[in-house]
Amino acid sequence: MARTFEEFPGVEWVEGAGLFIRVIEERCDGCANCVKVCLADCYEISGKKARIRDLDKCMECASCWYVCPRDAIEFSWPPGGTGFRTDWG
Amino acid sequence: MQEYDVVVIGAGFGGPVAAKKCAEAGFRTLMLERSAKVGEKVISGLTIPFYGFLFGPAFIRDGNPPIERPVDGIVNYIIKDIEAGDMEIDDSLRIPKPLSPILAFGYNAYCQPFCQWEAEKAVESGVELRTSTTVVELLREDGRVVGVRTDKGEEIRARLVIDGEGSQGLLAVGAGIREKYPPEVISLADVYDYEMAKEDVDEIFGYTLRFCWGWDEQKIAPPLGHGNGLMVWPYRESVHFCQDQCLAMDDGKVPNLRKLFEEYHRNLTSHLPWWKEEIEPRARLRARVFENFEIFVGLNERLRAMPNHADGIILIGDAAGLESTELCDGVPAAWFSADIAADVAIEALRAGDVSASFLSRYDERVRAHPIIQWSITAPHRYNLRFAQEHHSLEELRRYVHDGWGLGGFAFMSTALVRMILQAVREDPGIIASWLRMFPRYYYNWLHERYDYSGGKGEPPRDPSREPRAAQAVVRGGLRLMDAALALGAPLVRAAAGLLEPAARFANPAMKLLLPGIEALMRGWKKVEPAFVPLSDRIIRFVGRADPATFAAPERGGR
Repeated sequence: MARTFEEFPGVEWVEGAGLFIRVIEERCDGCANCVKVCLADCYEISGKKARIRDLDKCMECASCWYVCPRDAIEFSWPPGGTGFRTDWG
Repeated sequence: MQEYDVVVIGAGFGGPVAAKKCAEAGFRTLMLERSAKVGEKVISGLTIPFYGFLFGPAFIRDGNPPIERPVDGIVNYIIKDIEAGDMEIDDSLRIPKPLSPILAFGYNAYCQPFCQWEAEKAVESGVELRTSTTVVELLREDGRVVGVRTDKGEEIRARLVIDGEGSQGLLAVGAGIREKYPPEVISLADVYDYEMAKEDVDEIFGYTLRFCWGWDEQKIAPPLGHGNGLMVWPYRESVHFCQDQCLAMDDGKVPNLRKLFEEYHRNLTSHLPWWKEEIEPRARLRARVFENFEIFVGLNERLRAMPNHADGIILIGDAAGLESTELCDGVPAAWFSADIAADVAIEALRAGDVSASFLSRYDERVRAHPIIQWSITAPHRYNLRFAQEHHSLEELRRYVHDGWGLGGFAFMSTALVRMILQAVREDPGIIASWLRMFPRYYYNWLHERYDYSGGKGEPPRDPSREPRAAQAVVRGGLRLMDAALALGAPLVRAAAGLLEPAARFANPAMKLLLPGIEALMRGWKKVEPAFVPLSDRIIRFVGRADPATFAAPERGGR
């Protein structure tokens, strides 16, 4: 099963990716860098901490992982054959 | 537990090149790819420059990979005031007619089919390919990499691992071989793919890329020197549009890229005359994708010095930080490094020594590779920030001209000449291979003749329309050349060897000659229309000829 979103035509998300990105709450200082660089709107700030809203539109670029100044984001690849796919990259 | 001689991580542009060569040398090789279909997670706006094909793996140069369009130059728009429509053009980097479009600066391609083609060639050579398999960890024993663990919990042992994971390099970072890059050297690319009728792309773009550069305050593009203005690539029946911006500015501040990319795209597309008038009415948005690449790693001495190998493992392509700073194109360096990695892997396996000290010859060869080193350290895109800082139009013009105009030859000629001489010394016959490649690639593009599962097979041909006399002459000439190069090989090798020390003068010589060359090119532009009929004849000839005319000799025509 694959999902699509109007905002990102030409891309499909194959189910089963799970939570392959994790915020380590104790380390997060709520700077919102991850919110600013995520084009897929995966993050929000709640209670002065970054929280993953969902990874529905994540294209696995790892921008959030790069910009976190406190190493509070754990980034891994989703299981094989899941997550985003496109023919137009 | 399964055991292989070589496990290659990733079937992007580099992985299949390394895997294929190892398998051809008789080593049991497994290539692991996390996507279900090869290439469907690879994103780029992609022109693969000519030097990747000329000096890269022979199977690509002599093969028939799927390309989207040959490229004969770049039109740079230096936008001084978007609202007033005030802009100037630098289109000095162009191959003139009648050479264009048969002779090309490079080839545009979609990543998915191209990577798929490469992977299929690797499989044909005996590589075992496993898709839908994510490598989650490198297996280590006494600090040495001895294999990989997959997302299914499977442990696969390998005498040597070649890591082509991509720019994020999670495995190498996780294993402590490399560090995570700082955000200011990483650029996030926001890519739009628009469908457009082929005739429209032909008419509007021809074979030419369009790049836009403008002052930051216009908010039409990422800040100068911190990403790309706008790059537009014409494909076969589509147009690829990309802007990218580094994840942090010089002061460490992280820009709100979600907001900014929308803003740039809106401001630019609503004002840029040729976008509004020519493209918008004919284009339909088909896809929007984004991805990161390690744009400025090569310019940072500390990051450039990070290890690209360790006991039992070699890193290639983006995983080794080999992104090109100006063309933002990591494909040639991925091919070159994968080729070198395979050579070193073969030597190491034969010697029974995969220690970091043995594998250090990989590092030495990558650092001695003229084009890799030029492409990861070319300064002009980075330097654009100084043009902005001084708000100097003259500086902006100069950086654009030296980065994406004819001026670039004053910076890359030494690397280019060195590569030509090295390649010719190794195999003088390569010259005939180069001459065959350009017309064959054009023929393939014209007829969509790509030999892989996604291709349409051999196009129907009408032998009665073949230019028989001309093609016999061309074929005979090329064969004569093969024979002459084989016969004269010692002489050609010696000549190339003698010239090699002089290669270092190519850049300064080009600097001296450029004003003359530029004047010549401007003059040529005036007489060029007179050469259109000749150009059309060449195109017709190549398009109608038997493709065996341009086939690589060892693959042998019919």
